[in-house]
Amino acid sequence: METLLEMRNIVKRFGNLVANDHIDFEVRRGEIHGLLGENGAGKTTLMNILYGIYQPDEGEIIFEGKKVRFRSPKDAISAGIGMVHQHFMLVPRMNVFQNIVLGYRTPHDPLINQKWVEERVEALSEKYGIDVALYEVIMNLSVGEEQRVEILKALFRDIKLLILDEPTAVLTPQEVDSLFYALKSMTKSGLTIIFITHKLKEALKVTDRITVLRRGKKVGTVKTSETNERELTRMMVGRDIVLDISKPPREFGKEVLRVEDLWVKDERGNYAVKGVSFSIREGEILGIAGVSGNGQRELEEAIAGLRKVEKGRIILDGQDITNKGVMERESIAYIPEDRIGVGLAPSLSVLENLMLKDFKKYRKGFFLDFDEMEKKARELIEEFSVKTPSLHATAGTLSGGNIQRLILARELSRNPRLIIASQPTRGLDVAGIDYVRRRLIDAAMKGAAVLLISEDLDEVFQLADRIAVMYEGEIRGIMDRKGANYEKVGYLMAGGLEVTA
Amino acid sequence: MRDIITPVASIAASLLVVGILLAAIGINPFEAYAVMFTSSFTSKFGLAELCVKTTPLILTGLAVAIPLRAGLWNIGAEGQLYMGAFAASVVALYSNLPSYAMLPAMFLTAAIFGMAWAAIPAVLKAKFDLNEILSTLLLNYVAIYWVEYMVYGPMRGKEVYNFPYTDLFPDIATLPRFFGTRFHLGFFIAILIALAIHYIVNKTDFGFSLKVVGANPRAADYAGISRQKVIVYSMLLGGMFAGIAGMIEVSGIQLRLRPSISTGYGYAGIPVALLASGNPLLVMASAALFGFLYVGGSVLQTTYSVPIGIVYVFQSLIVLFIIAGQSLRRRD
Repeated sequence: METLLEMRNIVKRFGNLVANDHIDFEVRRGEIHGLLGENGAGKTTLMNILYGIYQPDEGEIIFEGKKVRFRSPKDAISAGIGMVHQHFMLVPRMNVFQNIVLGYRTPHDPLINQKWVEERVEALSEKYGIDVALYEVIMNLSVGEEQRVEILKALFRDIKLLILDEPTAVLTPQEVDSLFYALKSMTKSGLTIIFITHKLKEALKVTDRITVLRRGKKVGTVKTSETNERELTRMMVGRDIVLDISKPPREFGKEVLRVEDLWVKDERGNYAVKGVSFSIREGEILGIAGVSGNGQRELEEAIAGLRKVEKGRIILDGQDITNKGVMERESIAYIPEDRIGVGLAPSLSVLENLMLKDFKKYRKGFFLDFDEMEKKARELIEEFSVKTPSLHATAGTLSGGNIQRLILARELSRNPRLIIASQPTRGLDVAGIDYVRRRLIDAAMKGAAVLLISEDLDEVFQLADRIAVMYEGEIRGIMDRKGANYEKVGYLMAGGLEVTA
Repeated sequence: MRDIITPVASIAASLLVVGILLAAIGINPFEAYAVMFTSSFTSKFGLAELCVKTTPLILTGLAVAIPLRAGLWNIGAEGQLYMGAFAASVVALYSNLPSYAMLPAMFLTAAIFGMAWAAIPAVLKAKFDLNEILSTLLLNYVAIYWVEYMVYGPMRGKEVYNFPYTDLFPDIATLPRFFGTRFHLGFFIAILIALAIHYIVNKTDFGFSLKVVGANPRAADYAGISRQKVIVYSMLLGGMFAGIAGMIEVSGIQLRLRPSISTGYGYAGIPVALLASGNPLLVMASAALFGFLYVGGSVLQTTYSVPIGIVYVFQSLIVLFIIAGQSLRRRD
């Protein structure tokens, strides 16, 4: 296969940080090339350079045999490169047709040649097997459909190379499958695809070759057919990390949390949680799987005391806490989905953030005992290995993994009866993921009840004793981990009704 | 380090722009600044006036700074100051208290009235999320016109030849003065309050809550810190200090109630607090800077016939430059 793209010796610095350190990257025509690496490895930076969003400090790009320099995405698009970002760039109030032609000159410009567009979209849909309802408004589409619109929008611009940045992060397993199917058929018609991901399984499943980046440097490029998960992990993190942790069996104790027929509204006043009931016992992890936005956030906030309950009851250790404030739910630890926006005061110091919930306990007379607080904070930092230049460093400057460690340190050190952990490993690197999961298992083994809310099916299957699926505000079936499998859970996540086994 | 750059650069830039304005009307800005400086720092009377002007500015600066730490804008220090002055005047003129009780009673009622005036926007904000900038600003006019009404009507003095003044306070209702100047006890009261507030905001659990609410209100909710309580308490504290500033002005300087007891001290509290970025110790320093501007400004008026308005120009410029500096910092 001939070489379509070559990036040579690419260097990109942001201040002192070298995001891309002399990277060579080569893509062949017609392949799906996986770009694998932990968060912060430099994948997105490299692709943003290719797409003209950043200018490289050193190095050159050769596309279709010619040396090119893209000053903006516009240059990249006209050369034949398209990119679908992790966060979609669509106008929600416009329909699919309008989003596709946005910024594109159809024949007879400035008039939009509607027929020409329709024919072209139809031809593309047929060729690559991606269906879209051309006159549906974006707001009414599912995430998977929105992604198809993004891809179609890129294809419409006659591209030869398509970059997909973490395309599966928001999809259900079924949607992932159909995306992969579409990608394969695109390459058969001559398109080349760069697939950015940090998920090993997906990289192995869909790509032809894989390039691994680590801390801004290229580790190597391997043929997918000649590698395996273990080798890729070693390349990504530089050491073996046993990712197949799982929670050991344990006797469950008393019931800690019981939720009965819970109804909760979202910000817009619509019911987001519709009659949810479940219970969790001491030592048990209940995993709630589901695509984000199906009422998980409203559910966790209601249990944590941050959101009003419209109907139903929340019972913690036999006491009705439905209408109690946060202070009266002291035995609940809460690791929120939005760590920086809710779980942290980023402009305050590490010390202050560690003491966010307990500072009142350090009152000595009229004043707070800062020496005692520092002593405790030092212990916590040690125990949870939070890497920070000092206790007085601004918390917002820590890395994502260390922010999560800080939050874990604060929440888990308070000897909680119930732990609510929402998307606890999202955006973390492999080492961070491993650490957080072990901590949660550890807490459960010591007798806490854990409510794990996660989109990551691997995580749910590794940690949970029982798995519930949340879809459109309802719990669609609660099953034992032993009786569950990916297909069944995925089917429920996509809105399928419970199958009687 | 960067915390210092914005205020210092703002002061320098404001001096520069005002200098250009002075030059434009034919006044040598270096000479003018030199005159301002010598008049404030080289004589007993100059220094005394500097302290006299600094005193209310420390208190109104705190009145803005404390709510600011919780992310609230108290634009109402001016009105709270007027209500404090009004309350103190009523006690001074009509209470017939014995001498040992007179000043403490004036102090207390002024504090309570300032608090009450701040309580209105505070409760509206906490309960209904009503924008505190608007409510505090508008209540200023109510307070100012209330005092005007009182001195034109019910409280007008018998010995004032129809001027809109009250009678002079009895001697027991005036703050002791020192060194044969207008320098009075209020200066020490203001310093003591600033020091006390320094300890409260930095060392107590209330100060901690204040900081968290200001840094991230959602994290405060998450940590179980009552945002409503913090909003109300910080505004009440602010109103209290502005009220005390009003009492100190009438019993230390004016010795009676009249319509224009404050030359915008309440509004000047905003740049004072901003320049100090809410830090009570720095509030004293930035209040002194603005006190210097007031004294120097009136000297400019007498020496060069420059309207006192130049002081307000300077104040506004500082606010503009600080806000510009903050948004520039946010960008990188």
